[in-house]
This record gives sequence, C-alpha cells and structure tokens, in this order.
Amino acid sequence: MSSEIPDNPPEGFKLVDFARGRPEPTFNTHVGNMYAKRGEKGTRDEFVLAIRVQQNMCNPAGGLHGGMMMTVADLVGTMGGGYLAGLRKFLPTVSMTFDFVAPARVGDWVEGRAELIRQTRTLLFTNIYLTVGDQKILRASSIAKISSGDGTGYTKTEASVPAAAT
Amino acid sequence: MDIPAGFRELTEATGFTAANGPWFEKVEGNRVWRGFMPGPQHANALGIVHGGMMAAFIDAALGSVVYRAIDRRCVTLKLTLDYLTPARIGDWLEATGELLGHDEHVAQVRGRLYGPRHDVLAGLGDFALLRPGRPLKVRS
Repeated sequence: MSSEIPDNPPEGFKLVDFARGRPEPTFNTHVGNMYAKRGEKGTRDEFVLAIRVQQNMCNPAGGLHGGMMMTVADLVGTMGGGYLAGLRKFLPTVSMTFDFVAPARVGDWVEGRAELIRQTRTLLFTNIYLTVGDQKILRASSIAKISSGDGTGYTKTEASVPAAAT
Repeated sequence: MDIPAGFRELTEATGFTAANGPWFEKVEGNRVWRGFMPGPQHANALGIVHGGMMAAFIDAALGSVVYRAIDRRCVTLKLTLDYLTPARIGDWLEATGELLGHDEHVAQVRGRLYGPRHDVLAGLGDFALLRPGRPLKVRS
C-alpha cells in the first residue's frame, strides 16, 4: 500500500497486522494502514484504533471517504468492543448507525474509540466515536453478535496484535 | 468478470472509490442500480465480504438514488445499516433504493444490497442536498 505521506503514528500505536502471514490482502489491509493502542484498563485509551488519512481513503472533494470512516468504526465496534468486553473471537456486525458529524482531511490523524453499552449472552451493544484531536467526526452505534461457543477464534494471533474482526 | 447487462463502469472514480473498485452502475429513467464483484481485497478475516466495504458501497448507491430521483448531489448525514446475511467473494452484489421523501435540504432514502440468493444488507439514510448547480469542488 503506497502512502503519500508518512503515517507517523503517535507513541503507543502499533500497526495492526491484519494479514497475519496470509499472502493475499484482505479489505482491512487493502484500504490502508491501521494502528492500535491499548492503554490502561478503564481509561479512555483502553482501546484506540487509528489511521493517518491518505489520498486513497478520500472522496472527490478531498475529505476522508464516508466508507472509510464506516470501515474504521465497524472495526472499532467489533474489535474494540470485543476487547473491552474481554471477548477473543470474531464478532460479526448485525447493525450499525452512522452520523457524519464533520469531515476529515488528508494528513489528519483519526482515532476511534468504543464505549460498551451492554453485553448480553448473544449481543454486544457499543457506541463509537471517531475523532480528529478534540473534534468528533463520526458518531456510530453498533450491535454485534456474540456467537455461541468459541466462534472463530484468534488462537494464532500474537498477544500483542489486536484480533481482526469484521 | 461477468458484468450483468446494462451496467457501465464508473470510470471517474478517485481515491477510496478507485482503490476499492471497480464499481458499476445501471440507470433506467430516474432509477439506478449499483453493482460490484467482490474480490479477495474486499474480504474480512472470515473470507466473506467486509461490512465496511458493503457500508461504503450502499452509501454511494443511496446517494446515487437521490441524485437520479431529484437531480441533486448530496452528502451523507446519517446511515443505518442492518447486516442480514453474509456475502460471498465472487458473487456479484447489487444495490438499489427508493427515495422516501425530501425537502430543500435533506432527502430520506431506503435501499438494499443483495446477492444472487438473498438480501445482504438493508439501509436507511438521510442525505444533505447540495445547492442545485453547485459544482462539486474536486481536489485532485
């Protein structure tokens, strides 16, 4: 994936290895680099997923494409929500609602955070915000399915790498 | 790639759309259908089509429904999606929708994304209408 500008992730962010050795790119690697930070438990930064906005993530008007925002928010809801809930398996998304609050521009560092609303036996409810600095750019809510049993697990995933989802 | 009759490639795609295309469109009167062929680059960890990709696609399709219905360019304000069933790589996916209503500023549209067997995604969106005749500021 060619990057026109350096990603320069802030301290604490690590590139997410979605490919995990698979030769073919999947959507998560194809759309561009994503970074994750896992901060102290219970803090705002317990799980953060982030991107540096590149040209190939943008719409014709030069803003971050809504589709890219939704992709990141979807991952924050399942990967981040699952992490906050202590679930280590693939959580398929059942439903999402997005409000496009503000645009983001090439070069912006966009961060996504999830808030756990409720966990039932089969469902996980989360709210998600994408931000640039203090500015909220996307508000989303998500319902993900918690599959019975182990579901599709992440046993081969390195502990330091967030489990890929969606 | 087997493209159904009547669809033409959206060749003016840039940025995110170009990177995740090609996307196709069929127009009949003021109705529009969008389609794409999911490849490995559109897959998630389970090998089915990524929810983010389908969200991006139906978003654009619903925007196109608004444009064809009332000849107004628009940007998404709000989008609600229900993921009904998984979609397979290599199965042509198509989206269409209908305008539910609009005023001078906002249009409401409902749509669906479907594969060869069943509906995959249901969508409901609010789109902010740009001023008529206002050229889209395109940054290269």
